[in-house]
Amino acid sequence: MTPQASRLLAHDNLHDAGLSRRFGNRFLLIGLAALAVGLGLGIADGDELRHFFHAYLVGYAFVLSVALGGMFFVLIQHLTNAHWSVTVRRLAEFTIVSLPWVGVLGLPLLYPLFTDAGLEEHGGLLWPWIQPLGEDAALVTKKVGWLNPGFFAVRMLGYFAVWGFMGTYFVRKSLQQDLTDSYEPTLKAKKWSALGMIVFALSLTAAAFDLLMSLDPAWFSTIFGVYFFSGSLIAIFSWLILTALFMQRTGRLQHAITVDHYHDLGKFLFAFVFFWGYIAFSQYMLIWYANIPEETLWFAHRQTEAWMPVSWLLVVGHFIIPFAALLSRHTKRRVMVLGFWAAYMLVMHWVDLYWLVMPALDSQALHFGLCDVATSVGIVGLYVAGLCRIAGDRPLIPVNDPLLAECLAFKNV
Amino acid sequence: MTADARLYGVLAEFDNVDDLVDAAKQVREAGYTRFDAHTPFPVHGLDDAMGVRPTILPWIVLAAGLVGLSSGFLMQWWMNDVDYSYAISGKPMFGLPGAVPVAYELTILLASFGAFVGMLALNNLPKWFHPLFRVERFSRATSDRFYLVIEGRDPNFGPRTSDWLGGLGCTALEAVPMPDEPEGLPRPLKGLAWVMTSLALLPVAMIANARFSESSTPQIHLVGNMDFQEKYKAQQTSQLFADGRAMRPDSAGTVARGELDISSPQVTGRNADGSYVAGFPVAVDAGLMARGRERFDIYCATCHGLNGKGDSVVSRRALALQEQGKAAWTPPTDLTSQVVLDQPPGQIFETITLGKNNMPSYAQQLRPRDRWAIALYMEALQSAQAAPSEDE
Repeated sequence: MTPQASRLLAHDNLHDAGLSRRFGNRFLLIGLAALAVGLGLGIADGDELRHFFHAYLVGYAFVLSVALGGMFFVLIQHLTNAHWSVTVRRLAEFTIVSLPWVGVLGLPLLYPLFTDAGLEEHGGLLWPWIQPLGEDAALVTKKVGWLNPGFFAVRMLGYFAVWGFMGTYFVRKSLQQDLTDSYEPTLKAKKWSALGMIVFALSLTAAAFDLLMSLDPAWFSTIFGVYFFSGSLIAIFSWLILTALFMQRTGRLQHAITVDHYHDLGKFLFAFVFFWGYIAFSQYMLIWYANIPEETLWFAHRQTEAWMPVSWLLVVGHFIIPFAALLSRHTKRRVMVLGFWAAYMLVMHWVDLYWLVMPALDSQALHFGLCDVATSVGIVGLYVAGLCRIAGDRPLIPVNDPLLAECLAFKNV
Repeated sequence: MTADARLYGVLAEFDNVDDLVDAAKQVREAGYTRFDAHTPFPVHGLDDAMGVRPTILPWIVLAAGLVGLSSGFLMQWWMNDVDYSYAISGKPMFGLPGAVPVAYELTILLASFGAFVGMLALNNLPKWFHPLFRVERFSRATSDRFYLVIEGRDPNFGPRTSDWLGGLGCTALEAVPMPDEPEGLPRPLKGLAWVMTSLALLPVAMIANARFSESSTPQIHLVGNMDFQEKYKAQQTSQLFADGRAMRPDSAGTVARGELDISSPQVTGRNADGSYVAGFPVAVDAGLMARGRERFDIYCATCHGLNGKGDSVVSRRALALQEQGKAAWTPPTDLTSQVVLDQPPGQIFETITLGKNNMPSYAQQLRPRDRWAIALYMEALQSAQAAPSEDE
């Protein structure tokens, strides 16, 4: 840390000092309680936990999108040698160092893979390709080489092995940098970020295909991975804004994070709101224009009956409203206003994932209820609890980063 | 003030950013309003120090973008749905998703035009002359020096301004005289601009003239070898052949592959005595019916309509054009009418093979088996259309 920087950050509480542990335990309790409520309601549904596991997948995809969004954020900052983001980068690093924990949270999803429940009626409890049924059976049967429980589980293991390794590697380098004056760790991280980005892009796409797209195994969309990615980026920028606000509200990082950092996070949130709209529309328009039955059915489910209002909610609430709201620089520079829109976007992102998953449960009707909310709250609670524990007492910013001084002096022109 | 009338302003030179920002702050706090800073690169925080008000450029960009968005949608709606509505594959005349890409690109285009032109206009650019260009040291404003100038027309500008500014940490101070020459474009350049603008309008004027006037001379063919290609078209004459025809008839005895039999009822639709075949000389089954329906929907329904009543989109549009006097149209025959009902399958087959009235021959597109299939499907269509509606 340069003398100037250390003077500026002298009273900034760069260490968590037990905060995370306190909150970690609180979130652990909330998470377990909410998940228990969700599971209880799921059992009460009497559908062999079909609803519960769909709800679980929604919450799980939400947590995964935050963590993978964090991975992209860290990689791209290294890749572009960005200096504006140094003081918020550690907050993103916390989200990815806990990727192995996200992998553990995914273990319950093994149950729908290997249970006999729902097999006769739906072709699988969650993913309906375990025993292909109905009109699509002939087509889906051709995909069993890829879509079968064993290989699926192996792939999941592979994803988390890769992500866990990458997350640990980049965060370890960042933490090593805290303790040394040599810039070796940062340079190493920058060097490997390029390869990491390629691995990230491919693994995220494959995981999105596996976890979410295969819910309708006859349907395919090559842009689906990018769609999930765009949502992940909305999630991570909202997440970073909210965690930065939380840190500052609890008396931390007062000088490390300035209104200009919020402004930039807001700019990216705005940009990715638009990116999401762009990608969502690109996916929709090509399918709409080509008008081929096997492609349109997926959208037909989502724009008829009960799902039509949800689709409109996404168009208006996930795109038009936040686009207009985040357009102005005044929104982005008023931190509490920005915080509101960040929280709003997290909710909308959850609705987006709900809209991706839930028509697989019932394409005609909406079964929205406490079970969905409680399950997601539970998973997020457990995720945050794990994140707090892993973050521990580590410094909240990369205190020795070579670009820290520039980051602290950063101003939007 | 009289002493300052011929003075553009006072220029102070700084050798580092911090001094410049400090000085700019003090100048603003002293109440000056007409002053400016010149730096080789954008300086963070200088706007704040100078008290520069936020630009209205974003609003210009937003307005231009919205104009692009709405004109993009309006243009496509007007073209596709109002001015030249034309049904393509039964798609809606105006579909919102399909119109988005053009509207989106127009939004981007006009927004960037708005940003570019608006930025120039707000900065009074392009600027052909500035009094500071006469100051020799000012050329370093683009390399390694920072400048602050208080203009003589500032209401607070007085005899002591110069000394006061000199005390703000600058490395040099210089009074900048008001130049004698008029500002603006040099005369030759101005003339050239007029000539170029007039020339640029010439093609527009010519096109407008051609659009709104009538001429008896033939049109100009810019690309002659595309308009007059060295090839024969159908039905043209040629000196090359003894019979004078450019189209060569098939050599005697030419038969399509697998259709050597050209005289049987199966390929002519007529019996040996010349009467039409009354039944179907091919095996009739569900497969033939399905085939007939498929071929009918592809080749016949465009004019005769999917229900065979001649009420197709093409026909409806042609009739509408005829009402406006833009076309002449003989409606396609109603295939469920008594005239057609009375025809034996052989006659239907022959009509498809040879064509009739406005209807061309479909022998090229449809193999004999397909023609029988269509004749079969038409029978089904006729009985379906004749059925009383209570049967539904």
